[in-house]
Amino acid sequence: MYAREMVKQSLPLFIFCGLGAIVTGSTLGLMIDLLQEIPGLIVAIPAIIAIRGNISTAFGSRLGSAYHLGLIDQDNLWNEELKENIIGSIILSFLVAIIIGLFAYASSVILNVYPNPLKLITIILIAGIISALILTSMTIGIIYLVFKRGFDPDNVTGPALATFGDIITMLCIFASALLVEAIL
Amino acid sequence: MIYSWKKIVKHGLPLLSLTLIIEIFAGQILQGKQESIILLPIILISFPVINSVAGNIGSVLGARLASGLHVGYISLDFKDKEMHNNFYISLLIGFITYFVLSIVIYLLAILGNLTEDIALINFIAIFVITGVLLICVVSIVSVLTAFISFKKGLDPDDMVAPIVTTIGDLMGIVFLFFILGIFGVGI
Repeated sequence: MYAREMVKQSLPLFIFCGLGAIVTGSTLGLMIDLLQEIPGLIVAIPAIIAIRGNISTAFGSRLGSAYHLGLIDQDNLWNEELKENIIGSIILSFLVAIIIGLFAYASSVILNVYPNPLKLITIILIAGIISALILTSMTIGIIYLVFKRGFDPDNVTGPALATFGDIITMLCIFASALLVEAIL
Repeated sequence: MIYSWKKIVKHGLPLLSLTLIIEIFAGQILQGKQESIILLPIILISFPVINSVAGNIGSVLGARLASGLHVGYISLDFKDKEMHNNFYISLLIGFITYFVLSIVIYLLAILGNLTEDIALINFIAIFVITGVLLICVVSIVSVLTAFISFKKGLDPDDMVAPIVTTIGDLMGIVFLFFILGIFGVGI
């Protein structure tokens, strides 16, 4: 029925998001030496990126349904529904960063790789919290733009958030790893 | 008000914890394959792309199904035509997206002198085959998750994206090394 409409709205965005992912991948490529110097870091990277993306896209997806249900719209964006969503996302990010650090360390030890636990958990926590703060602010910006342009949030927020989220999270991991490697 | 932060954390945390265990499993595969990665750094650039495209397409499919189910224009039926259309369009979009991106990555890799060990045709084939395989898995998971969670009275919006991206990330890394192995590259 609206196949053409869907391809028209989605395909350019997917390709654009894919280009964003190439930036993420290239950043990871630049970290190749750091990854060898900090054992355990590569173990945590898919988890950090995925969780960051999950929290943001679930957030965006919920706002999409809130829009379809008529709970938020362009003129009524900054309300209690949105605030509860923001607080929930930030608390989740903090808790999850700690769990990732512990699991990445423990699973590596089981597989006979011995990371420095303090270093590893500090890197993940710093990267997790900073990326959460940046991304939550950005999410609200994206939602605002989506409404302004009159797009269906379902077609846009997920990929847009996941992509910008990945790049920013990857850069936060890179910066945090450099910082911690220099200090500890 | 239908949303509260406590509910979001309470509903989110168990699923996210499960997610991160699977992601760490994927991360351990990467750590285990570190020698291949050093030999073929283009893998490091490619896997976030393969995973994120599949995650995006699966999540958009899920979000569309969720809205359809919420509003009522998609019925809870595996023969639902609307759902089938969404499914096939996802496959088509996935194929085109992977094809275009594989060329971009290869061009970038030429600039970075990373293409000595892999030819353009091989790279496109590996990338697109991995991608389309992954989109099939991810789309099926997306439909199942949306339908099952909706049927159980859970909000598909909370469930689909995390489940789809997690299974996508793990299977993306598994399929990538599997297809690389079939082509005899990076071992």
